[in-house]
Amino acid sequence: MAGRSANGRHGLRGHAGRTAALARLLHKDCIQLLELYRNSESLPSSPVDGDYLVSIPPLVPQLSDEEKISILHAALKECLRLLEDVITREDAEFSDEDSEYKRKRKTVRDRLGHLLASTEQLLVDGQKFEAKVKEELDGQAASGSFGLKMWIVRVLQDLVHWTGQTSDTLHSMPAEMEKAPKTMSRRTRRGAGKIRK
Amino acid sequence: MQGWVTLALLLSLGVKRSLAQNGLGEPRGLTLNPDLPAQTLSLAWQSDSTLFDLEIFHTEFMNVVLNATVEVQADPVTGLHSWTWHSPLPLECTSHSVRIRARNQQSVSQWSPLQTIPGWDIPEKSYMFPEDKMIPVGSNMTFCCIVNEKEDFKEIKYGRQEMKATRLSRRSYAITVTNQPASDNTGTNVICSSQKFQMLTGTVVFVGYPPGDEGLVCETRDLASAECSWKKGRDTHLRIKQSLTNYTLNGRDCLEANERKTWCSSKMWEENWTLEARNPLGTVQLTDSAQLTDRVHLLAPVNVAAVKVEAWSATLQWSWSVAAYKKLEMVCQLRLFAHELSSTRNYDGPGLSSVVLEGLWPDVDYTVTLRCGSKHSFWKWGDESAPYRIHTKMDRPDALDVWMWMDSSNTGHVFWKPLSVRKSHGALNGYEVSQSSAEEDGRNTVSLPPGNFSYPILLNNSSDVTVAVAARNPAGLSQPSTVTTPAYRADSQLSVSELLGTNGSFVLSWEPNVSASSGYVVEWFPTGCTGLCPIDWKKLPESDRSFTVNSVYTTTACSLCAPLLISDSLVAGVRYTVSVYSLYTSAPTLLQRWQGYSQEMIPSQSVSELSLNQTGSDVLLSWKATEMKQQRGFIRGYTIYLASAAHLDLIANITDPAVQSYRVKGLTLSSYKFVVKAYTSAGEDAGATVAIKMEMDTADMLFVGILVPLGIMFCCIILFSIFFYKKREWVKKAFYPEIPGPKVSGDWSSPRGPLDVKPSPHSLVHIVKNPEWDFTKEGLFPVPEEEEESENDNMEVDTDSDEPALLRYYNQVVGDGSHSNQVSDSSASSTASMGSTQTEITYAGIQSPSSSQGAYSGGGYRPQMQSVTGPAEPQIEFEADFQDDGLNAGYKPQCSWQLDSPEAENFSGSLGSPTSVTSSQFLIPESSEEKPQPSNTWFHNFLSGKS
Repeated sequence: MAGRSANGRHGLRGHAGRTAALARLLHKDCIQLLELYRNSESLPSSPVDGDYLVSIPPLVPQLSDEEKISILHAALKECLRLLEDVITREDAEFSDEDSEYKRKRKTVRDRLGHLLASTEQLLVDGQKFEAKVKEELDGQAASGSFGLKMWIVRVLQDLVHWTGQTSDTLHSMPAEMEKAPKTMSRRTRRGAGKIRK
Repeated sequence: MQGWVTLALLLSLGVKRSLAQNGLGEPRGLTLNPDLPAQTLSLAWQSDSTLFDLEIFHTEFMNVVLNATVEVQADPVTGLHSWTWHSPLPLECTSHSVRIRARNQQSVSQWSPLQTIPGWDIPEKSYMFPEDKMIPVGSNMTFCCIVNEKEDFKEIKYGRQEMKATRLSRRSYAITVTNQPASDNTGTNVICSSQKFQMLTGTVVFVGYPPGDEGLVCETRDLASAECSWKKGRDTHLRIKQSLTNYTLNGRDCLEANERKTWCSSKMWEENWTLEARNPLGTVQLTDSAQLTDRVHLLAPVNVAAVKVEAWSATLQWSWSVAAYKKLEMVCQLRLFAHELSSTRNYDGPGLSSVVLEGLWPDVDYTVTLRCGSKHSFWKWGDESAPYRIHTKMDRPDALDVWMWMDSSNTGHVFWKPLSVRKSHGALNGYEVSQSSAEEDGRNTVSLPPGNFSYPILLNNSSDVTVAVAARNPAGLSQPSTVTTPAYRADSQLSVSELLGTNGSFVLSWEPNVSASSGYVVEWFPTGCTGLCPIDWKKLPESDRSFTVNSVYTTTACSLCAPLLISDSLVAGVRYTVSVYSLYTSAPTLLQRWQGYSQEMIPSQSVSELSLNQTGSDVLLSWKATEMKQQRGFIRGYTIYLASAAHLDLIANITDPAVQSYRVKGLTLSSYKFVVKAYTSAGEDAGATVAIKMEMDTADMLFVGILVPLGIMFCCIILFSIFFYKKREWVKKAFYPEIPGPKVSGDWSSPRGPLDVKPSPHSLVHIVKNPEWDFTKEGLFPVPEEEEESENDNMEVDTDSDEPALLRYYNQVVGDGSHSNQVSDSSASSTASMGSTQTEITYAGIQSPSSSQGAYSGGGYRPQMQSVTGPAEPQIEFEADFQDDGLNAGYKPQCSWQLDSPEAENFSGSLGSPTSVTSSQFLIPESSEEKPQPSNTWFHNFLSGKS
């Protein structure tokens, strides 16, 4: 293993594999978290109406894998921020009694942080993308406790979606992708320039 | 036309005039002021009347939701009439319209113009009302869902329960929930769904209870401030932060109190306390009232330390963290823990900060805790101090409990009981034993290590020896304990009584002895023990006359005893010797001695040396008792059983244990198994078994075995002899019929020519002597009467036949044996002659196989099949042959015989030849003297009456 890590390529592949496994695990955690919340609130299992809170540029085939990962990383970053908002708001509004939902919520937050740190190592040097959040908490929570709950559901749905996207993208990465130089093609760079900051 | 219009105007003016004549003017300036959160609608108007009719509608469908007559006085300042209506439905659910008119009894004014407050079902959005309502458990509530323009209403769910909805307007639907249960942590969700979306919109309702706190108690810890606490009551079920219970103490916010912390503090003591607990659903007030001195709850003493520690006492000091305590009259409680035992001691005084602990034990680890309270108006014990450890100093041991036990007239042992921790006052270093006698000056002192608890004593002369024993520890030597050798008294020298145990113990009592100035000693040990025995004893004051030796006492007294010296308890099944000595200045004197078992058990071993001795039909069983150690109880007797395969039959119960033999009488010749069991009051042992096979004496055997059979045999012989003698004629006829001798005449010789006798190489005599046809073997068999008669008849016929016919018969056989009629004759003849050997011989010679085969080759006549008079064996043979021949069954009477004869082949070869004929003629005896003599001639003579 030491020899593999020394040449860099195998080490990156191993890291990408671990990141993909972590993303898959986190995706399952997010599904469970959403299910726990729906059960505790006696909410229907159908998705809440509305688009995803977090929006990113479309992951067109022209984008390289590194660019896709970079964009998804930005989406996950926003998801983590939304989740922390949820935690803060829930703890502020409701009693802090221990429950399975709250334990799972903490697990998701921790693993999402690990996934972000892990995917950051796969990003293209110098490339930064930002995701947008369409609706913030304040606007939703104005409609009372039910609005807050619906917003929490939407955040959890976003978590499920973007962790799933990340997991799929990481698992679909070809092995040679890691061998490719960590530079973006001009074409891709131009396409992504609109969202680059 | 103009006339009609004029009439209508006149009528209209007439009505108006009549109303005006009533004096009821239409209410003016009706205004509506909704309070949406409170679901109330305030109405204000101007009018001169005080009685009004009100009507409230759901505007869109004009459903009347209120139609009432109310009396409303005008505000004297503003002149406005005001009235508030509480709507069961959130006012946002749909638009509401109101109109009002004045009433005076039956007269009414005109309705005021409709005033409307718009509902939220006008904007194009989905809503649900009311929002985040907090209501008590059991309340009823109406929820409404406003669907937006593009959605079709589907249902409203209260939690997981689907509710029946009513339509309020085109876009507004309502449900009413009655008797609502308490909500979960985050409230109860009410969700409105459309055909398209399962969660179109929704709201949350928080159903709970008002605060249920109770039991407010205030106390002081520092004699100045107050701490009030209470007990949390019923769960409010309100978890959202804005609905949590808030507390105020005497009007001041109690911020530290929450759902878990139910206490509140105040810097100053107030005699009256009021705690108010409030949540959105209600308020509860708790009160308490007390003087400060009545509610003193002291803090724990600090810096607890022992400043002076002795062997039997210690001085404990501590300090207080509150200076005000120094003047407080307080009571303190010390709790001492040592060897898992605890004791409490109370001390009191103003500002108590030190106590002297008396009554401690030397060399003991103590753990001390301390707590105090106000002595006057004691409220409760204060906090307890941290445990503090004290180890007291050592002191000299207590005097030993010493006893001397003599196992012979000049040898004995001095025993002493180990000192308990409480009595040793420190770890012992050893013992000092000093011995002195009246005849010898000085003392002989010996030091023994701490593990010793006895010392041997040897008496060289008749004088008493006094032994002093003292224990030593680092603090010094104990007071010596002295004992004088008691006189040795063997059990044989005494009348040892039997002592019965009672519930595992011995209850002793004895006559008082005036010489027992120093009391008594009860001593017990296992009977028969020698040397270092587990001696136990108990010294009693002179006033005692009885004592109970039991295992409890012994266990308690000897918890630290060495196992060799002191018995741990009275062991069940062990015989003890118990003695009572009186004590005075000189040697102890034996008063009484017993032996007994604290609890008897069945013997552990069966009787030994069980043997038996047969004497005739009696058996003497003898045995020996088991050793005392295995008896485990007083042997009360023996039981003797006769063992069979399945059970034991009691045949004797010997109640005298001294009898150790038993005679079983009158046993017959058989095998027996005897079981002998010894029994105590606890029961029988397993039993010893002995077996015996009863045998006869020699004379009996001679008589029974030899003489009796001989006698029976002789009797039988005599009886048979008499019988046969009496029946000799019949026997003779049956077994030896008279056979007429052949009468040879002149015509006997063959008329056809001279016989050329040329004997066959095999003599016919030889054939006749075939053992299978030996008369002596085949002749003696019972003959039925009928057969006998039949034979006799045949014989008579045969006898009566003419001799020439007989001769002819022979000649014809030899000469012309193929004629069937002759065969028939020969058959008859042979049948008649079956009884004699001669006849048999003749028959054999006649039946030549060749002639027979010739006669029966066609399966014709079978004369032998009908014969029943022949000997059994030939008949069986014949039948077998006949059966074997099967279908071609020609008559072959001689076949078997031929097979049986080794020379049959040669002989058959001569049959039908002249030699054969000649051989037939040989068989005919010439005279009775020439008849062959059978081997049983004597028997024949006997039957014939010849001597």
